[in-house]
Amino acid sequence: MTTMQSLPLLQNALTVGAILFSLGLVGILTRRNLIVMFLAAEMMLQGISVSLVAWSRHHGDWGGHVLVIFVLTVAACEAAVALVFVLQAFSRTGRLDAAAWQSLREATVGRTIDRELPAVDTVPPRFPTLTRAGVQPAPDENEPLQREHV
Amino acid sequence: MTPVFDPFLPGAILAGGVLAAAASLWLLLPNGAERVSSRRLGTLFGLLALGAFIVTGRRLGGLGEEAVFLMVSLVAVVAAAATIVSRSPVYAAIWFALSLLGVAGVLLVLGAQFLGVATIVVYAGAILVMFLFVLMLAQPAGLAPYDRVSNEPFLSALAGAVLLGVLSLSIGRLSVAPSACCGLPSRAKAGADAVKAADQPAQPQVAVAADPLAENHVARLGGELFGRHLIAVEAAGVLLLVALIGAIAVVARGEAAHASTDADLGRPVR
Repeated sequence: MTTMQSLPLLQNALTVGAILFSLGLVGILTRRNLIVMFLAAEMMLQGISVSLVAWSRHHGDWGGHVLVIFVLTVAACEAAVALVFVLQAFSRTGRLDAAAWQSLREATVGRTIDRELPAVDTVPPRFPTLTRAGVQPAPDENEPLQREHV
Repeated sequence: MTPVFDPFLPGAILAGGVLAAAASLWLLLPNGAERVSSRRLGTLFGLLALGAFIVTGRRLGGLGEEAVFLMVSLVAVVAAAATIVSRSPVYAAIWFALSLLGVAGVLLVLGAQFLGVATIVVYAGAILVMFLFVLMLAQPAGLAPYDRVSNEPFLSALAGAVLLGVLSLSIGRLSVAPSACCGLPSRAKAGADAVKAADQPAQPQVAVAADPLAENHVARLGGELFGRHLIAVEAAGVLLLVALIGAIAVVARGEAAHASTDADLGRPVR
């Protein structure tokens, strides 16, 4: 730890922060699920946090640490309020889709039209077989055993 | 290493890495049909991009530090990319948790012990669990159509590549020499400089002996937070309270407004 040099560490950490920020930007631009868009926004905050702490380490100053603590606070508030809005939007439309609210778009922006998607190939999942032990219980036919997808 | 060092080589490698990252994202982002070939090609491009960033990364001095930093930052970046490209939002949330662990590791390597632990506790412990709750409440069975397509994946990946390219260009241009305009009036920095000047006057500026913030880290961070930034802490507390009340109020009033909108439109009130 004592031999670590400051500027290379700063540059490497800033690169990691830049990559996280860019990935978050791509995610928030391109994904349509509201929750995944939120995750991408939080990822941008993570990139900023890494950069702030790296600068703080470089300058030997507490400012970056303090700012990151406030970023955490604001992220918690934002997640609480935003998830409430997501739940409201879901209860209105039944979808977590950003394009479900495309009537709010600007007049010059074209309409998002969903094309036909090929069906998901439903390969039944393979589960590990266990050694038989005990009495076999009588299964209830009405009870769904598993969901096809998570 | 070539005997004659070409100064354009790292920049070229980095540019190639950024382009490979963009191509990888474009191929991996959900695009209707899932093709194994595009997934494999995207993974290959992603590995190329990671390799370019690793090769052009700065050496940290010690092998152990380099290995630790490489490991945690790889976890953070790869899991972040997987968060963006995974079809299922539940898997995206779990990848995001892994990415948070990597980020916490990076923060620990940078000497921010309190923030590393706080990131895990606050993000992975509270915020992510809240996300998963909402997902479980709101997610229909199976993959929804809007999870299987993306908005303009090519242009988005290109925008990300432009941003990443500009950022890494300016990061690579950071120089050792302290600029005259932006010297931070930091007491810790001044103290560290004084100690360094007294101990090793012949050392160049780049060699910082130790992290000046490492000693009594959490206690001094608390002192800084509740001393110099006390008003901001109070404001953050008020913000938390307002967000709490606001979330409850939006839920409560949203239900009523929902019912009245239904009544206005002549729908049966649920």
